[in-house]
Amino acid sequence: MKALLKKSLSIILTLGLAGSLAACSSDSSGEKSSAGSGSGSIKLKLWDQSVGNTDPSAKLLPQIVEKWNSEHPDIQIERTGTTGEQYKTKIKTSLAAGEAPDLFYGMGGGSFMQPYIESGNVLEISSYLTDDIKSRMAPGMAEAIETDGKIYTLPVYTHIANLYVNTELFEKAGAKIPTTYTELLDAVEKLKAAGITPALIGEKDRWPGMYWYDMIAMRQAGNEAVMEAFKDPSKWDSPDFVAAAAKMQELAKAGAFNSSMLSMSYDEMLGAFNAGSGAMMFQANWVNAGIEDPSSATKGKVQVVPFPVFEDGKGTATEIFGGAVDGFYISSTTKHPKEAAEFLMYLSEQLGTQGYLAGAGLPSWNIDGLDTSSLSELDKSAADIMKTATSFIAWWDNILPADSAETHKNLIASLLAGEFTPEEFCKQMAQLKPTELNL
Amino acid sequence: MNSVFSNKTAIAIFVLPTLLIFCGIVLVPIFVSSYYSVLDWNGVGKGAFIGLDNYVEMFKDPRALHSIRNSFLFAAASIFIQLPLSLLLALILASSVKGEGFYRTVYFIPVLISTVVIAQLWSKIYNADYGLLNTLLENIGLSELAQDWLGQKKTALAASFIPTLWQYVGYHMLLMYAGAKSISQDIFEAAKIDGASRIRTAFAITIPLMKPILKVCLVFSVIGAFKVFDLVYVLTGGGPLFATEVPSTLMYTTIFNTYRYGYGSAISVFIILECLVFTVIINKFFKTE
Repeated sequence: MKALLKKSLSIILTLGLAGSLAACSSDSSGEKSSAGSGSGSIKLKLWDQSVGNTDPSAKLLPQIVEKWNSEHPDIQIERTGTTGEQYKTKIKTSLAAGEAPDLFYGMGGGSFMQPYIESGNVLEISSYLTDDIKSRMAPGMAEAIETDGKIYTLPVYTHIANLYVNTELFEKAGAKIPTTYTELLDAVEKLKAAGITPALIGEKDRWPGMYWYDMIAMRQAGNEAVMEAFKDPSKWDSPDFVAAAAKMQELAKAGAFNSSMLSMSYDEMLGAFNAGSGAMMFQANWVNAGIEDPSSATKGKVQVVPFPVFEDGKGTATEIFGGAVDGFYISSTTKHPKEAAEFLMYLSEQLGTQGYLAGAGLPSWNIDGLDTSSLSELDKSAADIMKTATSFIAWWDNILPADSAETHKNLIASLLAGEFTPEEFCKQMAQLKPTELNL
Repeated sequence: MNSVFSNKTAIAIFVLPTLLIFCGIVLVPIFVSSYYSVLDWNGVGKGAFIGLDNYVEMFKDPRALHSIRNSFLFAAASIFIQLPLSLLLALILASSVKGEGFYRTVYFIPVLISTVVIAQLWSKIYNADYGLLNTLLENIGLSELAQDWLGQKKTALAASFIPTLWQYVGYHMLLMYAGAKSISQDIFEAAKIDGASRIRTAFAITIPLMKPILKVCLVFSVIGAFKVFDLVYVLTGGGPLFATEVPSTLMYTTIFNTYRYGYGSAISVFIILECLVFTVIINKFFKTE
């Protein structure tokens, strides 16, 4: 019996050893050929989150990758797309495990990428960038992508949040498209009287409601005061932010938002708005493509306008919520940093310009000489609003440290549900952590 | 061949591969999680050792305590609603009704469907604007009862229990049905000869003889309630305002939304311990009886 044991053990060991040897050898041979003569090809992995049905990037990305692959037989890109929230979990897990792909999409402008940049998981790319590529970026972009004087990503699109109004429903209710807070309250009343849901919020996902409060706070206190409060959270507990919270609650109590907001998700909100079940939505220009989609019942009936200004507020219509720069990053574990940076430059510019023309987002690249006649009215108006900008504040949940961002969103949900008074809300906001970013 | 199977070392070798896989995907992660749970760690870089602070925080955090309370409510609902229902169905099916196989299959179908599909299905049923439930209530003249089932604190918890209870009724029913069917027919015949009614037979013979399988069902349903995640996550995401939060959804948001891997791991270790303790208690309870 012992003999049987010994024999079987040795067979298992041999098999295991042979297997691992085989695995090693195939790996190393792959590297050798790529580093050597150049006849073999380098494979780079790319992960992104562009898979949506009405997301123009989802169509463009594969085309750009395919074109690159056919033009660069020695640098082949393998793309994997995963949808939004799952993508976040996936990329976080793989970064934490040190198994990140060579290139990946990162939600920019703050707390999502910050820990990975700090811990050195992301490659610094300044040395690979040419002056030529820098000169092709839109003005201000080169500064916007710097983190502590270093560059980790290139811009693709910019997004800004504005008020989307369904003109058909406004006409039906005899309401005027609001430019001030009083007009907004008035419109809410008229829409309600006509049996129309004034505004839609998908508060199940919590960030759509956050957009409303954040915008109201920026109109009430002005962008400068908000920037200061990010650095010194005790300033959240000041009369301006209390007034903002009071306005938010006033709107909720006036019935401005759909009664089912706490069970409605972001996707359901988009669906409802596109189906014409609500007259207003405060969102960023990534919703444009869906509204202009042939399947949308509101195609051609929607206007995009700046959020109303407040008579007693310090903010102006040119202070804009958004401007965050999302982009692709290179993992510091990549074996081919130079090639990855080359592709990064190509991808960012191609997707940025082609995507702008397809209505995926506002451009971060120089667009002089591009034919913009194909753009929808919504994209053009959003781009016009962006041109008037005097200052930007990106999405607050990206600026605040991750756990404070969660608290911020939860507090707003409670405020909307009427669980807090505006004063209590601001006391809690003052407990948030200061941002670690250089604003 | 017989000599091989009676040989202890040979058995050990044959068990080894499964054991290794089991260790790799079950035991090792448990130990790794326990290690993470004593760290203050954001998922990247180095964590700082902070002892049992994460556990102390958990038992002081009203949000965590609320989620634990919810999971206990869930377990209670499983024991007192789901299991009796399954038992009733199992007993009826086992008493050779017409179409036994048909009903058995029908009740088992929800178990086979993915939980995410079930959650999507029920979220459409509960939908406040066009949901089946509200439409039904409006059509039978009870429109004042129509409401946003998943969007209100007072109804959301119960509304998110129902789909899980419904989904696993078929599973427990099948286990109990198999248990009831394996009881020897002789005993039932003897009972019949003694003139026992069907209900009397069920309580005096079938249920006592099914005790081992009832224990298994009880353990499964309690543990299932403690670690429920997918359904609640898809249906409400723990909302509105934490009303339906259970420890596993809290663990997920702590780790993936706030980057607190240490605290999240402490919650996961708590869930494991909670399941182990209750399994032991249930086993003890059945032994002493």
